Amino acid sequence: MAVSEADLGRSPVALTINGRRTVLDAAPGERLLDALRRAGWLDVKESCGEGECGSCTVLLDGRAVCSCLLLAQSAEGAEVVTVAATGQPVVAALRQAFVDEMGTQCGFCTPGMVLAAAELLSATTEPDVEQIKRALAGNLCRCTGYHRIVRAVQRAADDLRQEVAP
Amino acid sequence: MTARKPQRRARPKSTRVVGQPGLRVDAVTKVDGSARYIDDLRFPDMLYAAVRTSDLPHAEVLRIDVTDAQQVPGVVVVATFRDVPGQNQVGCVRPDQPLLVETRARWIGDRVALIAATDAATAQAAARVVKIDAVPLPGVFDVEQALVTGAPALHAGGNQIEEFRIERGDVERAMRQADVVVENRYVAPWQEHAYLETQGVIAVPERGGMTVYGSMQCPFYVQSAVARLLGLPMSRVRVVQTITGGAFGGKEDYPSEPACCAALLAHKSGRPVKFVYNREQDIQWSTKRHRMVILHRLAARHDGTLLGADIEILVDAGAYCGLTGIVAERANSSSIGPYLVPNVRVYTRTIYTNNPFGGAFRGFGAPQATLAHEGQLDALAERLGRDPLDLRRQNAVRPYAVTAWGEKLAPPVEYLDTLAAAEKMANWKVLRAQVEAHNQAGGRTRLGLGVGSCMYGSCLHAGGQHLEGCGALAQVHKDGSVSVAIGLTEMGQGAATVAARIAAEILGVEAAQVEVLPTDTALVPDSGPTVASRTTPMAGHAVADAARQLRAQLLPVAAGLLGCRASQVEFAGGWVRGAGRKKLTFAEVAMAAFRAKVHLAASGWYAPPRKKHDRTTGLGQPYSAYAYATQIALVEVDLVTGAACAKKFFCAHDVGRAIFPEGVRGQIEGGAVQGMGYALTERLVVRDGRILNPNFTDYLIPTIHDMPEVAIALIETGDEGGAKGHGTANQAKGPYGAKGIGEPSLIPAPAALANAVSHALGVRMTELPLLPDVIMAEIARRNLDNVPFV
Repeated sequence: MAVSEADLGRSPVALTINGRRTVLDAAPGERLLDALRRAGWLDVKESCGEGECGSCTVLLDGRAVCSCLLLAQSAEGAEVVTVAATGQPVVAALRQAFVDEMGTQCGFCTPGMVLAAAELLSATTEPDVEQIKRALAGNLCRCTGYHRIVRAVQRAADDLRQEVAP
Repeated sequence: MTARKPQRRARPKSTRVVGQPGLRVDAVTKVDGSARYIDDLRFPDMLYAAVRTSDLPHAEVLRIDVTDAQQVPGVVVVATFRDVPGQNQVGCVRPDQPLLVETRARWIGDRVALIAATDAATAQAAARVVKIDAVPLPGVFDVEQALVTGAPALHAGGNQIEEFRIERGDVERAMRQADVVVENRYVAPWQEHAYLETQGVIAVPERGGMTVYGSMQCPFYVQSAVARLLGLPMSRVRVVQTITGGAFGGKEDYPSEPACCAALLAHKSGRPVKFVYNREQDIQWSTKRHRMVILHRLAARHDGTLLGADIEILVDAGAYCGLTGIVAERANSSSIGPYLVPNVRVYTRTIYTNNPFGGAFRGFGAPQATLAHEGQLDALAERLGRDPLDLRRQNAVRPYAVTAWGEKLAPPVEYLDTLAAAEKMANWKVLRAQVEAHNQAGGRTRLGLGVGSCMYGSCLHAGGQHLEGCGALAQVHKDGSVSVAIGLTEMGQGAATVAARIAAEILGVEAAQVEVLPTDTALVPDSGPTVASRTTPMAGHAVADAARQLRAQLLPVAAGLLGCRASQVEFAGGWVRGAGRKKLTFAEVAMAAFRAKVHLAASGWYAPPRKKHDRTTGLGQPYSAYAYATQIALVEVDLVTGAACAKKFFCAHDVGRAIFPEGVRGQIEGGAVQGMGYALTERLVVRDGRILNPNFTDYLIPTIHDMPEVAIALIETGDEGGAKGHGTANQAKGPYGAKGIGEPSLIPAPAALANAVSHALGVRMTELPLLPDVIMAEIARRNLDNVPFV
């Protein structure tokens, strides 16, 4: 639920979004999700608004978080990455792998899935299926049955290892 | 048991795109975040809608006072039923459902007032201060109670809405003459769609009419509904589907309601109005899979031959009819399954209650009916000491056999192929023996192996054949790119990729060269609803028709350029070749055709042959074709926690011909898991008509941890007729022999799981979902937990 934009004292929140230094004009009590979407980052999706589904996941200083559960003002000074980020090799590899393994159907959970997986692959180069399941346990998908999502994460991990190894 | 040899497996016609590997045409924009869904769109001066619903599940509304709401700063307009310029009516099939309550509220989702404000929070706040002066009426929350004499009636004429039957032979005699009769009462509960993108629309007043953008399956339904509400000719109402984040039936009939709300507010304010639900509103107000109670008597001889089935189905419609009659018609037609039963009596009734609103949901009544017929087959197998697969095989539908509804089946009839393929994948006999050995060893867990089969009537039932046509528009641009619009929608299932592939196949280009446009009522004629797994067969034929016309237009141009006869021209892989060695790119031919002023747009259309079906007796041909499926599920039940966990699925599906094989597999994986949720974890808690768990913490859809292994076999007997092929007389299949997969992927799964859990516990489980409390109660009742754990 968007907070009323009328008559609320806004304050600037300086942060980096997808490599760009930005100042969000955030209302008190405004969720990071709403502030990001208002600033034009429409690739951040709202589905449950209660931290149950993971659709609004972004990377905040490298950690996958539900942007519906964070106040925008708590992101002061943080580095936020969304699925539209450029220059993020892990995110790019995952996006390609989600295409190649058909890890997306309706696509609404996909940005969150990719970013939750990005946190995993930034820490682990060779995750097993259990690690992938743990990393994505907070992200719901109603279309795929998850099989191709797991395969996409495995494929991205393979691709990233091959990029590193000559 | 050896696997049967597949019957008449047609040699695939050589195709370059259809049936070949390849990816979704819409994947890139979905993974890079550039795909725009309804909540991502904004219009200048746009307002935000909110709705005030009834506080009571059944009430006489005496007065609606919107004075306070109107005075909330930021509120622009408030609307009640008095503001409706046309008919205050959103009933999809029957005119029994007002958009806005006039004098009576019949369920918790009934709307009393609408608000449009400059932001969503203000609109919500204003909705809360609408005053409703209402007197509670006694409610009815159970289908059986609703039929009792003296039960509170929701509408004039009583609570029973409609009835459907199949009557053939003499079922009472069959029951008397049978050696065995098994009788059970099945309860198939509500299910929430839980698409990740909630319901949402934007209504934009323009050109003296209304344009509606939104997340939806059926733009033509929305167009009709908005035109009726606003009293506009349909030509003034344009509906454009936006990228849709999942639907599963939940965006078939229902989006007309938020669309009408937004359109009324847009009409009154003269400004665009956005109405996007939050999750709680979505679960509380939108339609659900119908709760059904099914009484099933199945009669057989000692040798396993089925003699008769006596089936009574009660369908909880909720407060309005909506699509309930159509769902009930499919449940009625699906109640026998892929078996030959000479004597049948099926009696299905649809019933008003003050409960949540029943609507379309993937399978459309068939999963509920399948739970019962598959439970009964297993119950009979157990009574007779027979293997569940052998008993099914013995009674299976076969080519030229006459079904329980009196239809002679033309070949191919692929049911036994699916049974054999699933059996082979699962290594059934060996696995079943392993499961039983595990259970006899007596540890903390029990394993169960269960089967579910279905005979899915592909596309719309005969009762809906007035909607069964589909249009397409195709254009070749002068640079050789191709655009296609179809009258049915992409909602995640892969329709756009299928349409692109068929156009690409016929025009000899790559699927990536074909742009599939959003479904727009201004571009294509009314193509009916995107339901009933009909998009591949119907839109597929329509696209093929349009693409063939374009090819015919290009042929003489190409022949002229190549110096050959038109019959010698070949379009393939983006190249156009003639008799000699000379070849042209498709783009060169397109440009030459453009400059020669050849008509490079085509409108395609397809409607299947008429079906003859008697609604009163239920006899005749209810569907154009059947898609068969068998799924086998392996579950593990923990005797300490009561948790049932699906370990493996073996899914064998008759798809006719897979146009987009990886897409088909993706549908099966997702459908089986959605069916698993229905069987094992998804329970809507409803008290006095209100859903008490409208969120994903308390309503449990499968997570990645619940994911079973899924093995898939595709049975492809698609005929050689290519895009034109309608197959044999009563097998009006899709292009290349394709049949739909969206719904058959789910339909057998709940039944297979219920049978697997029944096998694990040694007791027939007849009510879903099989959550730990239900299983623990059975364990306690049967003292299964007295077994000492290893």
